[in-house]
Amino acid sequence: MAEAPQEEGGPVRFMRQHIALDYKVHVSPLAERFGEQLRGGQIVGSRCPQCGLVYVPTRAFCPMCTVAMGEGDETSLPDRGTVTSFTILTPIQYHGQKEREDYALASVLIDGADGTVGQQRITDVPLEEIRMGMRVEAVWAPEDERVSDPGDRGYGFGNALRGWRPTGEPDVPADAFAEHVL
Amino acid sequence: MAERCAVVGVGQTHHAKVRDDVSLAGLLREAGQRALDDAEMTWTDIDAVVIGTAPDSFEGVMMPELYLADALGAAGKPIMRVHTAGSVGGSTAVVASHLVQSGVRKRVLTLAFEKQSEGDTTWALGGGRSGGVGAGGYFAPHIRAYIARSKAPEYVGWMVAVKDRKNALKNPYAHLKVPDIDLEMVRDSPMVWDPVRRLESCPASDGACAMVLTDEAGGDAASKKPAWVHGTAVRSELGQFPGRDPVNPRGGQDCAADVYRQAGISDPLEEVDVVECYVPFSWYEPMWMENLGFAPLGEGWKLTDDGETELGGKLPVNPSGGVLSSNPIGASGMLRFAEAAMQVRGTAGEHQVPGARTAVGHAYGGAAQYFAMWVLRDVKP
Amino acid sequence: MARDVAIVSFAQSPSRHGVTETESQMLFPVIAEAIERSGIPRKEIGFTCSGSADYLAGASFAFVGNLEATGAWPPISESHVEMDGAWALYEAWVRLQHGDIDTALVFGSGISSRGDLREVLCLQNDPYYLMPLWADHVSLAALQARALLDAGTATEADLAEVAARSRRAATANPMAQVAGDVTAEAMAAEPYVVAPLRAGDCPPVSDGAAAMVLVAGDRARAVCERPAWIRGIDHRVEPHYPGVRDLTTSRSTRLAAEHVGVGDAPVEVAELSATFSHEELILRDALGLGDDVEVNPSGGALAANPFMATGLIRIGEAFRQINEQGRSRTLGHATSGPCLQQNLVCLLEGDR
Repeated sequence: MAEAPQEEGGPVRFMRQHIALDYKVHVSPLAERFGEQLRGGQIVGSRCPQCGLVYVPTRAFCPMCTVAMGEGDETSLPDRGTVTSFTILTPIQYHGQKEREDYALASVLIDGADGTVGQQRITDVPLEEIRMGMRVEAVWAPEDERVSDPGDRGYGFGNALRGWRPTGEPDVPADAFAEHVL
Repeated sequence: MAERCAVVGVGQTHHAKVRDDVSLAGLLREAGQRALDDAEMTWTDIDAVVIGTAPDSFEGVMMPELYLADALGAAGKPIMRVHTAGSVGGSTAVVASHLVQSGVRKRVLTLAFEKQSEGDTTWALGGGRSGGVGAGGYFAPHIRAYIARSKAPEYVGWMVAVKDRKNALKNPYAHLKVPDIDLEMVRDSPMVWDPVRRLESCPASDGACAMVLTDEAGGDAASKKPAWVHGTAVRSELGQFPGRDPVNPRGGQDCAADVYRQAGISDPLEEVDVVECYVPFSWYEPMWMENLGFAPLGEGWKLTDDGETELGGKLPVNPSGGVLSSNPIGASGMLRFAEAAMQVRGTAGEHQVPGARTAVGHAYGGAAQYFAMWVLRDVKP
Repeated sequence: MARDVAIVSFAQSPSRHGVTETESQMLFPVIAEAIERSGIPRKEIGFTCSGSADYLAGASFAFVGNLEATGAWPPISESHVEMDGAWALYEAWVRLQHGDIDTALVFGSGISSRGDLREVLCLQNDPYYLMPLWADHVSLAALQARALLDAGTATEADLAEVAARSRRAATANPMAQVAGDVTAEAMAAEPYVVAPLRAGDCPPVSDGAAAMVLVAGDRARAVCERPAWIRGIDHRVEPHYPGVRDLTTSRSTRLAAEHVGVGDAPVEVAELSATFSHEELILRDALGLGDDVEVNPSGGALAANPFMATGLIRIGEAFRQINEQGRSRTLGHATSGPCLQQNLVCLLEGDR
């Protein structure tokens, strides 16, 4: 909220009106199931029966083919992948913001998936060493702390994953993931 | 056969961080009145109103066309509100042009606005939750990917930032005025979303833009030279899917191809005199030069580097100062469309590109997934 | 000369409270059904337009997720209004007048049950003077109902009759949310929610989606046995402040009806977006509908009110009257804003 200067005794320029609206968003049955498997330490994707593309997290339909997908189209994926792109953020302090320190968010192409998962935390590496093509593995939260919140920013991974850390494997060359910069 | 559409009036507000001298309605009236004055028309001459703005949560007003109906003289008339994320200012103008080109309306007033000081944009962009990355946080990785792909030198981003702010000094309505801006100042500004620096980023502005669109008879009757619509197009693509290229989105390419085909343009670099395109972070200039067909893949940055996108260059880009200088989000797209109109009408004042006859207006939004464009000329199609 | 455009297919989800799926998951089968029934291949659709509201979803840019349900690859020519899908229909109809494309997909959706609609819709009001009063849409509707009763144009018994008739009609509509074989007396005996409106006079809170396909020209007859031609479509708005309007009439509806030519010939069925019972009486009057016109055989908005789709569904039901019931002239109405501030009228005709 822009803080406009208010002169002492001067005309009123702004009045604050904080509007709080509460929304109850249901966890969809699909997200519920995905979260259950995450709690069990399993990352699951959906393979489209028509085009064969693998999406993670699971989807109710393939948006490319507009074909429904169900449990029968689920496929397990390893918890390793490649950083295809990233940014380092200095968090803007707005109402409700909890982040204080600079942090990195990356798109990770999980091995076997055709689409990336975005907004993933990168951990256990200095920010300036993060790079495109870096190989990473999931950092799982302890089993009893894995709470999946499909409305969260981790594209449905919730608190099940703390983030992704480097594996130490050689970087993947740029042209190998050129189509997955998102 | 579509009816011809003319832009006969353009108006905008003085964009600023905080316009505490006007209400939301007042902000729109300022732009609307200027557009009507420019068109030598009054509020009662208008048949229909089309407004556009970015998410309602930016101001905390749901469906603002309801509240604004009175201020916009819309009682008894049709009013619609378009919402296509950041491209909205552009798509609103396109929807307004449809009303005329379809023959349904003769004189349409179209406006777009944002009064960001009355809300908290970053909070709203983050859906009201912690961890919101802001627009820059979303686009920064794409910019990184472009730089890696094109191997463009890092100063290209600084050049665009300097050029647009210097252009803004010639635009009486622009928000950001940084008279002593230079490459070093941009280079030394703090990194906000690596690799994007503060001075390479757009401001948050209060502002509004308005245009009066008429049918051919209205264009003929106008005493000032109209800008004629030669093509309009919108495209939407999924924001995320396997194999998506967010750096050079297909939606943008298709939108440009469609609008060039309508306007009979086969060589954009040669045939377009000026471009007002949506550049909220400086690297988007070279990226859009490629996406919109002005430069081959990987070479958009050379147009900038060679000075061709300067006011005196071969293809002036954003002579108004662009989004980098004024960014009332909902209005920014329409400002691009309106500035394109000003260029072909010869009313851009100090930032006029001499002899501009063919102009392109462009807007994009969402995850670089919504695109709106139009091509204007100073002669009828 | 307006180009002939027809509705050739329509689909909707059953209106209910508290859907657990996401909005795009709710839309996906509805859009698929509308396209399937249209006979137009998805990739051929020339333009897509939809209506929805961020504040309903509780998220900015909420409509972006809905794009997935359309099959937007390769990229499509598409737009969106933050209004009921009926206005998306209007935009699509306008677009088809150009003559360069022949088909359009239109849809509307909303999950009202996520938030408290009575709080959310307060944000539709003037942010400086009205919003701080937190005058919710039910209370404002009650003001309008009171004005109507005080004018002597209607009685509470009339309102109860509309409430009861709507629920009885809805028993034949599997998509409706509130239905029952109820009497006007029973409706009139319920306590007030906000006087003079009782529970039966108010709409349910509904989640739902609807979609339809438009086709221009003769192709409509090739793909649809009995298309519903859009003979006229128009919308008008009134001043925002309830205090400066005559709440006992709907000037904008009357104006839109005139522009569309409702009075030119008898209307057989009218589907009206009367979300409160008294609104039906006001709208009937504004549209000049006599007692011979069947109103809201679907049960109307009192039986199901998936906000952002309600208006589109009225037009869809008016289409079904022609397409399935063999009628020749029907109309669908949509509304927006407090106390019927903005209204859209769509006149449909079937081939004779």
